[in-house]
Amino acid sequence: MRNLFILLCALITFSSSAQGPMNFCTDDLETFPVLAQGREKPLYVLAGDSIRFITGEKKVGDYSAVVAFCKLSLKAFGMPLELPVNVRVDHVDARKFLGISEDATSIPVNDLRAKNDLLIAELRTLKENNSYKKELSKIAGRLKTYEAVVTGQAWTVPVVNNGKVDFLALSEFLTEQRVTSAGSSGSSNPVQILMDRAKADYLAAKGDGYLLELQYFKLNPFLWSLLLSLAAIFAYVLTKNHLFGTVLTSATILLQIAAMALRVIISGRAPVTNMYETVMFSGFGALVIAGFITLYRKEISFVIAGLAYNVLCLMMMKFANGMLDQGISPLVPVLRDNFWLSTHVTTVILSYAALALSWLLANSILVRDSLGKLNSADYRYQVDLTYTCIKFGVVLLAAGVILGGVWADYSWGRFWGWDPKETWSLIVLLVYMAILHGRGTTWITPKRFVPLVAGAFMSVMMAWFGVNYILASGLHSYGFSEGGAIFLGSFFLIQIAILAVTSVKFKKPA
Amino acid sequence: MNTLIASYRKVELFFGNLKFAVVIVSLFAVSLAYGTFMESYHGTEYANRLVYKAWWFMAIQFTMFLSILFATLIRLPPKKHLYGFYTIHAGLITLFLGSYITYEGGVDGTISLAPNSPSRSITLNEDEFRIQFPARGKEVSVALPFSAGEKDLKLDYENIKLGRFLPFSKEELNWIPIKISDPGQTSSRYKLYNDQFGETLTLTLHPMSDFNNTLQLGPLNVHYMPASLADCFSSQEQHGLIVWNGENRGCKTPLQSEIKRRKSSNGKEIVAINFEGRDIAFIPEMSPLPLNTELTLDEKSPYRIFSRKLFEQSAHLFLFGQKAAFYNKNSTKWETGDVRKDAPLDLPWMGFRVLLLEQRNDSYPVMRPEYMKPIQDGGETIVGDKKAIEVSIGSDTFWVRSGEPVAFNQNGEKITFDLTKKNITLPYEIVLDRFKMDTDPGTQTPASFESFVTLFKGNDGSEKHHIFMNNPLKYQNFTFYQASYFQSQEGPMGSVLSVNFDPGRPAKYAGSLLLVLGSIWHYFLRRKHLKTGGARA
Repeated sequence: MRNLFILLCALITFSSSAQGPMNFCTDDLETFPVLAQGREKPLYVLAGDSIRFITGEKKVGDYSAVVAFCKLSLKAFGMPLELPVNVRVDHVDARKFLGISEDATSIPVNDLRAKNDLLIAELRTLKENNSYKKELSKIAGRLKTYEAVVTGQAWTVPVVNNGKVDFLALSEFLTEQRVTSAGSSGSSNPVQILMDRAKADYLAAKGDGYLLELQYFKLNPFLWSLLLSLAAIFAYVLTKNHLFGTVLTSATILLQIAAMALRVIISGRAPVTNMYETVMFSGFGALVIAGFITLYRKEISFVIAGLAYNVLCLMMMKFANGMLDQGISPLVPVLRDNFWLSTHVTTVILSYAALALSWLLANSILVRDSLGKLNSADYRYQVDLTYTCIKFGVVLLAAGVILGGVWADYSWGRFWGWDPKETWSLIVLLVYMAILHGRGTTWITPKRFVPLVAGAFMSVMMAWFGVNYILASGLHSYGFSEGGAIFLGSFFLIQIAILAVTSVKFKKPA
Repeated sequence: MNTLIASYRKVELFFGNLKFAVVIVSLFAVSLAYGTFMESYHGTEYANRLVYKAWWFMAIQFTMFLSILFATLIRLPPKKHLYGFYTIHAGLITLFLGSYITYEGGVDGTISLAPNSPSRSITLNEDEFRIQFPARGKEVSVALPFSAGEKDLKLDYENIKLGRFLPFSKEELNWIPIKISDPGQTSSRYKLYNDQFGETLTLTLHPMSDFNNTLQLGPLNVHYMPASLADCFSSQEQHGLIVWNGENRGCKTPLQSEIKRRKSSNGKEIVAINFEGRDIAFIPEMSPLPLNTELTLDEKSPYRIFSRKLFEQSAHLFLFGQKAAFYNKNSTKWETGDVRKDAPLDLPWMGFRVLLLEQRNDSYPVMRPEYMKPIQDGGETIVGDKKAIEVSIGSDTFWVRSGEPVAFNQNGEKITFDLTKKNITLPYEIVLDRFKMDTDPGTQTPASFESFVTLFKGNDGSEKHHIFMNNPLKYQNFTFYQASYFQSQEGPMGSVLSVNFDPGRPAKYAGSLLLVLGSIWHYFLRRKHLKTGGARA
């Protein structure tokens, strides 16, 4: 390694041009093919994911993720450079432990490196797997990722042998022998030549299909969908003619279809395999269902509720990065079945989407009614709209739960196993069933039906997020300390607050 | 007859009532939510025992079944606008029946396949207690209750009594009284610690204890010895020889002048030491045993010799109840000190100290299972996963733990006890030829699990099968699914298949289909009735 450094330095020193290896790190590298986390992807994605994981930021100083990643990787060859890399620290206790200010959100990587032994010792001593320990493991993981980058292990380089592509770590790829032989051709920048050749060989062997992922992330289609949805809502609310809103809504739907299609082509599977994708699909699903009901019932409230819910989902995808990971990673073996993914999971998510529509409508009834903006006929009419959404939700959910049972039977030989995820989806069904049956009794009058429907969506949130963020963590890490749990806790609190405030108004004589 | 019909109407009205449906559906949902939280805290098996497989939960489900059944009966004869409703409820009734058939007649277990060795035994989920009398070729099995808490079995077989059954337990320290107190059978507990690490040591000289008189903690060896030996370690004699009597635990470190040395015929050094009024000869470099008059080793003698020098190279801590001895490499001396409850004794290794927690002459320590609610973390039970049964034979009482069979000798007859899972034997054999695990490229993350097996069907020959995720093997009534894998002792991977027989399957599928079709019918295809009848809301 040291020899290589001397060689590289010699090449810089003796070449008359300014084309040293440091100038090699440019944004042009973002199209370089790498293998990471079991998938081939452009360096843009690997660098972005790594830098975001380590620092929580998109850039390092003024350098883009790709340039920073490249420069850090060259440290493996002795390049003397210091980048201001700050490792993200979220937990207050972890900040105290690392000796940084309680308001500081990060620690300089060299300070963290000096404390690595202490960090490992602390992790060994901690018996309870609580949020503090989880945060420390995460910090240790961030440092490990950083070390992998600066030792040239993270960046992988394709090497084509007889049409077969293998990937070598950069530290193994840039051998003295390779660099010398590339340098002997008289070029001032042998590293550039080697990397260009590796990319060209890869393109010849496998084509440029992997670049789709680069385009997908660069296009940022869901941000555009968010803006389009917002514009559509304004168009519906502000203009009498619905044409403008309908055009914008259709554009949103088409854009989301295109974005999801891209994701399907990149990942090779139905876009419903992690929290990020279910949120994405539910927003889209709610908009499509709402559009469908709007056409059928000639009622614009549905599509506005659909757009509003889509906006909520797209905002979560944009801003809740700690909870929803937008990356595309390989699946656990049991989920690798596109037929069941695209039937069971989509059905359940669509049902949650329909129930979300009923939740939005119910809350809007609560608020409008408590402000005295609904007369009794309006109220009845609005309740009927809510009921329509629940019908869709319940039928889809029953079908989805049953499809889940059939998949489980087909894959594991048991229709039902009281697994928490399936149990909670059944609880959701039972909650809505209790409400629907209750409508036939004197217990659930329309005035009680609306708050019940608004509250019932908490069971959906529990089944959807709570099972993963609260139940899965077990007794030892119970507590609202992590992103997902905080989100869910806030949701419950806000919903309960809305119910409480509006119920006070109910008691006043109308 | 009329009274009979009238009382049937009452039952029908009670169970078929909408309000009753709301109550029972809500109750069911609340129990389920409770179950998921219990699973999150205490693990899957505890939740199954406490909720999902408990009698009261079965009762709730049965009541739901009654509610659905009578809700349908009460709405007969058929009315056209209720066709969807009838279909949904018929679907639910069929689903419940299917589930009941599975519950009664289904088999759900696993089969472990070590590479290249035939298997035909399916392990089921139910626990069983097996008592075997090998001499008589007899075996008795006791099915154990599927309870979440401790249960007194109160079972008698011949003169074997089965007492408490603990479905979840952890081992706790217990002290068993000694009838005649003997200072040679003392037991002590110490705390050994430094700034980073701490460990409680339990040491005993009692032969019946679950603990020993030696312990190894990394590079440190701990020896627990009778108190009377402590003084012999404090001598600063260079030769380091200690003679002791195993019967009365007396010991002596002779003065240099008291040792008579001579060479044996093969050049080894024989030392003679006067101890307890006798001259005793040893060859210390050969054996701790003394020599008899024929100059051979006397195995019956209570005398032993050993050299402290053996314990100077690595870290050895000798504990004698309230005293300790060790070789300090820094001062190149043997040091002794008092081990007390109130003041720790500093040791010459990495800042370690030792503190006496307790010392007992009147009882000895054993590990006993105690009931505890298990604790789960990350999908695994981390504490409390052992099952145990208390067995009494005559005046002897002992515990049998899951996975640790116990052999007992009763008047010369051997009896073995085993707390294990129930199993059934297949009429054919399965051999794992090869297990294959693919990983995602460039990572260690599994991408697929595959088992290549041969099925030996007795007289019908054999056939090869390839079992992987979402591709099970179906043979006769059973279906075999790829479930898990393990590292076999020979090296290659073994495979675990889940095995399943589900006679309720057709009913469950039919019920599901009816339910979905009925829902669509009920909610979407009867708008006309609602419009003409007016929305209930």
